[in-house]
Amino acid sequence: MKSVKLITLIFFLIFAGNLLAAINVVATLPWISSIAKQIGKEKISLTTLVKTNQDPHYVEAKPSLIIAARKADIIMYNGLELEIGYLPVIIESSKNPNIQPGKIGNFDCSKYITPIEIPTTTDRSMGDIHPLGNPHYHFSPINVLRVAEGMVEIFSKIDPSNENYYRQNYKEFYTKWQTKVQQWKSIKISGKKFVAYHNLFSYLANDFGFQIVGCIEAKPGIPPSSGDIKRIIETINLTKPQAVLITTYTPLKPVNFISEKTSLKIIIMPHDVGSLANTDDWFSFMERTISLLSQE
Amino acid sequence: MKIKKNFLKMYLLLFTGIFLLDKPIFSQDINERIKILEETLKIQQETILKQQKIIEQLQDELQQIKKQTEKPEILSREKRITSGGLFGAASAYNPNISLLLDSFGYTSNIKETKLESWNIPGFISEGLNYKKGMNIHTAELYIFSPVDPFFNLYATIPVKEEGIELEEAYFVTTSLPSGIQGKIGKFKSGFGRQNSQHVHTWYFVDPPLAYRAFLGEEGITEKGIQLTFLPKFPIYTQFGIEALQGENEILFGEDATSGLHAFSAFVKTSFDIGENSTILFGPSIIVGKTKTSSIEEDHIFSGDSSLCGFEFTYKWKPSRWKSFTLQSEYLWRHQKGTLQDNSSGNSQTLERTQDGFYLQAIYQKGRWGFGTRYDILEPFNDKYKLAGVQENFEAKPWKTSAMIEFNPSEFSKIRLQYNYDKSARNGKNNSEWFLQFITGIGAHAAHSF
Repeated sequence: MKSVKLITLIFFLIFAGNLLAAINVVATLPWISSIAKQIGKEKISLTTLVKTNQDPHYVEAKPSLIIAARKADIIMYNGLELEIGYLPVIIESSKNPNIQPGKIGNFDCSKYITPIEIPTTTDRSMGDIHPLGNPHYHFSPINVLRVAEGMVEIFSKIDPSNENYYRQNYKEFYTKWQTKVQQWKSIKISGKKFVAYHNLFSYLANDFGFQIVGCIEAKPGIPPSSGDIKRIIETINLTKPQAVLITTYTPLKPVNFISEKTSLKIIIMPHDVGSLANTDDWFSFMERTISLLSQE
Repeated sequence: MKIKKNFLKMYLLLFTGIFLLDKPIFSQDINERIKILEETLKIQQETILKQQKIIEQLQDELQQIKKQTEKPEILSREKRITSGGLFGAASAYNPNISLLLDSFGYTSNIKETKLESWNIPGFISEGLNYKKGMNIHTAELYIFSPVDPFFNLYATIPVKEEGIELEEAYFVTTSLPSGIQGKIGKFKSGFGRQNSQHVHTWYFVDPPLAYRAFLGEEGITEKGIQLTFLPKFPIYTQFGIEALQGENEILFGEDATSGLHAFSAFVKTSFDIGENSTILFGPSIIVGKTKTSSIEEDHIFSGDSSLCGFEFTYKWKPSRWKSFTLQSEYLWRHQKGTLQDNSSGNSQTLERTQDGFYLQAIYQKGRWGFGTRYDILEPFNDKYKLAGVQENFEAKPWKTSAMIEFNPSEFSKIRLQYNYDKSARNGKNNSEWFLQFITGIGAHAAHSF
């Protein structure tokens, strides 16, 4: 009898998760999770593949990620080739027919946005450049809103009985979005100049009217050469930016060197939701980002 | 007088009016008109009621439409650009193609003619085929693309100096239910750890001794069918079975028998320990009919083979710029059959039970990597019974390696490797150096863990 009880308990524990949540969502990046959470709330269960301290360009297709994808009803990803180094193999190896390309459970967030910086010509002598445009659009409020809207559509398609619930959540999200964006726009960052390690802040610069005068990592994905460092120091001396923007995973050596040479301040920016303290959801992440920039 | 006239007129008028009204014809007419009016009014009232209803309905509809259109900032479909999707820009309709050039410089303390006969007595008769100086290992063409919603197709076509090969060409199912996946064509077997990895992802230029002795330089790359199953367990556990043609020249051999004559099964389990560490382990087995001339020169062995393996990998990777990997495999092989001398025609029974083991550690920091590997054959089993008599081969074959690599970018690698190889059991050692260059262009499929 005891063993029967135990087996029932084990089965319950295995399947309970499936029963409680309507949609099992697997998101690659923390910001996608954050938006999905605000649209789906308790009608979805969420797993995030990329950790908050990880560089989203370089993630390994670990078996633990594959088994997470195996259980997904829908996989949501950033797209624009950001996850190209690991996501295709995760999706194929998951042996999960729901999330294969072309299926309803394969949700490319970048389909809802307007990308910028689409290069006219690329080859890899320029480094690991993104030929579809800059993939870091989660800094762009309007694009994130569009992704949220796409999520309402897809959740309603997968789970039509809760359509009104998702719409209501979206309405709340939109109301908050409106007030927050108004607040952010009133903070003065426009006209400021910054240097970045990686080309992460282009959408933000476009939306809030500041300027990224140069990147330390001249060729994406390749650590800067001494020539690159020399050039960026020249740029800094010429343009006099406010600070250099880095993330928690940026290699510090070249940054510290440049900072010493030019006495330029270093700001550690959140690269995604949860990467710094007080960036627990997308709104607080943006707030932190903007307040860090405005302080200079 | 004037007033009087007016009075008269008024009086007359009033009188005529009363007279007229009093007439029955007139009164009848009015009644009818009132009736008609009443009826019209009724009809009008009904119409108004109807219209009111319609208005109410319309109002309701309007409210609903308003509710629906209250979604802010509806994005017109035209504005949405279609991106390249999961596989990126290059996959509009062309398959993803990449070319990997794997070349190396080589030098050794022993003569090139001696290298050709640098075999492992008791295991394989073939020596090393490196040339002193510059070698092109392969210029390997990788092609992959989704076929349709049901299949993905992969091909690996190494172009060697001797010609073009078809190393791999297979399709993988993507739409089978319940975590089942099929692979059909020619592919690297899921047996073991390093076997299924592409050569350019190896941490050392050459394969471990156990691979060279039991699987050959090319590994188990076979035509056949593979079925894998990944259940929804809390931790990753993959089960796989394969039915293969059995053409591997060391382990099976094309002529052993007709039809599929090698069968394998494997289980791989993996989980994370904490934030940054991953463990992967599992057993593999492959059995089949064998007919090979790889054991001794001018001798053909026919019989049955079974090879068992256990793999273990531990990887610690706190960031892109730092990692530590420990990888190890233990292989155990049993063979029983007859060994025939080609010239004399004599045949003797041969039974051998041998094993092999390697352990390698790689530390990566920034763009640099440092690795070391230890290889040994016969750590526990050295049974080699020819006609029932145990053959004595003296020292156990072993080898040790060290390497240092630099990765200018994700797409290029320069590696310097040193081997101290005591596998020939002749008391001599082969001290060899490799300087390897791996460069890749094009859209290359993502690598698995």
